[in-house]
Amino acid sequence: MALAGGVTAAWTIPTRAQSMPVIGYLGSESPQRYASRLSAFREGLAQAGFVEGRNVAIEFRWAEGHYGQLPALARELAGRQVAVMVAPGGAEVALAAKSATTAIPIVFEMGGDPIALGVVDSLSRPGGNLTGVSSLSVEVSRKRLEFMREVRSATKTFAVAINPASPTSTSQLKNLHAAADSLGLTLVVLKASTEEEFDGMFAAVREQGAAGLVFSSDPYFAYRSRLLAELAVRHGVPAMTQSRDFPMAGGLMSYGGDFHQSHRQTGMYAGRILKGEKPSDLPVQRVTKVELFINAKAAQPLGITFPSSLLGSADRIIE
Amino acid sequence: MSTRPAVANPRTSLFRRYFLILFGAVVTPLLIAGGSEAWFGYQDQRARLNDLLDAEARLASAKIADFVENIRDQLSWTVQLPWSETPGDRRRVEALRLLRQVPAIESLSLVDGQGRERLFVSRIGLNRIDSREDHSAKPAVVGARADRVWFGPVTFIADSEPFITVAIAGNRAVDGVAVAEVNLKFIWEVISAIHVGQTGEAFVLDRPGRLVAHPDISLVLRADRAAQKPLQDLRSAILARPGQATAGHDIRGNSVMAAMAPIPGLDWSVIVKQPLAEAFGPIYAALWRTGILLVAGALLAAGLAYWLAQRMVGPIRVLEEGAARIGAGQFDHRITIKTGDEFERLADRFNEMAGELSVSQERSDRINRLKRFLAPPVAELIDRTGDDRVLDGRRVEVVVVFCDLRGFTAFSSRAEPETIIGVLREYYDALERAVSDHGATLINYSGDGVMALLNAPVSCSDPALRAVNMATAMQENVQKLLASWRDLEDGLGFGVGLAMGPATVGRIGEEGHLHYTAIGNVVNLASRLCSSAEDSQILLDRIAADAVRSQVPLTELEPRSLKGFDQPVPVFAAVSASLGRPARWERSGRRPSYF
Repeated sequence: MALAGGVTAAWTIPTRAQSMPVIGYLGSESPQRYASRLSAFREGLAQAGFVEGRNVAIEFRWAEGHYGQLPALARELAGRQVAVMVAPGGAEVALAAKSATTAIPIVFEMGGDPIALGVVDSLSRPGGNLTGVSSLSVEVSRKRLEFMREVRSATKTFAVAINPASPTSTSQLKNLHAAADSLGLTLVVLKASTEEEFDGMFAAVREQGAAGLVFSSDPYFAYRSRLLAELAVRHGVPAMTQSRDFPMAGGLMSYGGDFHQSHRQTGMYAGRILKGEKPSDLPVQRVTKVELFINAKAAQPLGITFPSSLLGSADRIIE
Repeated sequence: MSTRPAVANPRTSLFRRYFLILFGAVVTPLLIAGGSEAWFGYQDQRARLNDLLDAEARLASAKIADFVENIRDQLSWTVQLPWSETPGDRRRVEALRLLRQVPAIESLSLVDGQGRERLFVSRIGLNRIDSREDHSAKPAVVGARADRVWFGPVTFIADSEPFITVAIAGNRAVDGVAVAEVNLKFIWEVISAIHVGQTGEAFVLDRPGRLVAHPDISLVLRADRAAQKPLQDLRSAILARPGQATAGHDIRGNSVMAAMAPIPGLDWSVIVKQPLAEAFGPIYAALWRTGILLVAGALLAAGLAYWLAQRMVGPIRVLEEGAARIGAGQFDHRITIKTGDEFERLADRFNEMAGELSVSQERSDRINRLKRFLAPPVAELIDRTGDDRVLDGRRVEVVVVFCDLRGFTAFSSRAEPETIIGVLREYYDALERAVSDHGATLINYSGDGVMALLNAPVSCSDPALRAVNMATAMQENVQKLLASWRDLEDGLGFGVGLAMGPATVGRIGEEGHLHYTAIGNVVNLASRLCSSAEDSQILLDRIAADAVRSQVPLTELEPRSLKGFDQPVPVFAAVSASLGRPARWERSGRRPSYF
């Protein structure tokens, strides 16, 4: 019986590979953390006419939060000779995919500026084997500081959270300092690149006398919105991240690109490449939508009342 | 049956001619009708396509205009009140709400009556409140102050995303100017919702011909001027023929039909395009339909023409064959045509003709048979009456005439056969002429001897007188011949003997060798009288002599002992020709009438 099963498997795999193109999907976290992104990706893929299991197969590689493993996983996918490699969830994933192959088309999804990060040379004509979608999350880090100041207008000192492991951390920090200067604020920079450091970071906010914590845009932070929200509530710290998951999980506010839109467009691009379009012909798309989520319920224990300007411009108010 | 007479094959067949004429008669109008229908149908469809694409272009233009109008309307709310020196928070809240309501606006700058920026809100950059920077010289502010509404040129941020600056001034100068940066990617939602037919779509070009909006946003974001050249060419082609849908190529090189409409307020053009195959789909379908109908019609016409030609030529062939068979003598052949028209009548005529030919053939056959031993007038009489019972055996009073040449046996033993035959031919001709002229019947030849019969088979008046006249004619004819033969033979002479009396007459023998003959004493007597006649003499027996005595001068000769007769037989001689007798003896007061 075991032998027969083995033979069957040996027969089915090549026929399946023959009939269906395979997408290599490189994820920096676990499938659970990617669930909402994956559904958006599949939505885009379906819009381009592909459904997993019916006319396309997807091969997944998960780094489970260990970003250092991404290049190896990307090489693994490249070795599988997938039809297209999808690298969503930040510059680290895109750069890992880029280092793994120059032949297999790559569709990335990130919050930063793909030109500044050296992923592509031009948005309109990306060239090479890469194209993808960029959300405005990294660029709008400074807006988060602006919103936080509006909520905590009485105070001039704010803490910012930086992940030093992120390739965008330097540029974001520079941006935030410039914004703080123009807004007349003082910044306390807190660094964390592992979950273990999060608790200390929230504790430091109160210790340093900062009125609130503004997270820089970083996928590592974004995928841990639930944990961050729990810590913020526990420490009683008004905090703001890029991802809507944060206020949804009890955090105070979020401002960032619409990941649903960006991941859906990633799926569409993957589908178009499967249909034969060249990545160099597909311009890098910027997600135009930036969304503001506020949690009125979370504001109460913090003694915060949202000003009308914020309430008026919020895309969603959680009550 | 003889072989059919050879008739030359006709140069062209009637069937082919009929077929072509009938086929042409049906197909020509069909082709004219089909062709004109196709042509007018094409024109109609073309005009309809023109109208359709034109309407789609106007509709698309109206939709884009709506998009711009909406932004303009929203902006106009921000410039309704004059600016005071102290900025209230109300304007900021309003501006932020505007950003939320109009996602296409990326940033908004509000400038007061002096041209100083009082408020700047943005989705990406930091807001500025009351910066009081001097913006009065900016083209947007200058333009809006002059025309109330100002649209800047399309700019491509990072060479990719199209943006446009929209500025609007308040009714009064103190209301200031609102300047918004509008991300044109948002037109995508409008443009991608426009569908022309099944797969047709719309796109927007700005004045220099740059792609501003297209259902495939990546084409806009690539901002590749060279790749967009076909679209500019398409617009030029449409502009060259205003109001007409134009064929051209889209960015992927597909053949399309396109129409254009300008967008009011902006110097943009909306172009709708539909793949040529789809746009002309109904036209092609109509042409196909017409073509199939034409082919089907032509096939039907061919079938009909074939059937009709066959129907017309069929009877003619039957007639031809029938005529050939009848011509070949097969008179019992009948032509069967049941068309109920002139052909049937013609066939009936043929059949009648064949019937008549058959009757006349039979008659001529019979006449030919009877002519062998009857004088042609007699034969014809029998034929006309259709009654040959006259030939049946019976006993009747006849006059038998015998004649022969004297000295012929001696001549024939000396002369050449050609000479003998020649002499005999002239001799028989002379006798037959006389027999025929007098309604007598030639019974037989034997050498130089000839027997003729009168009053049988056809009865006649005065058979004896006729016989004498005939004998006289014979003498006359033969004596002339004898005079011409004197060089050949000197000893030839010609004598005639005739007798009257009852004899048994009738035909003997079967078809093919039929003979008519007379049997009786009178035959014997006539033969003996002939034998005893001298040259130029016509001898009669008593009965014949009694019958003609009143009309013909006779000389009674000495009774003669004749072979086969016990008593000497009284013999009379008609007066000799050498005495200059009249050509014909006649009964007084009556013209001779033989028939």
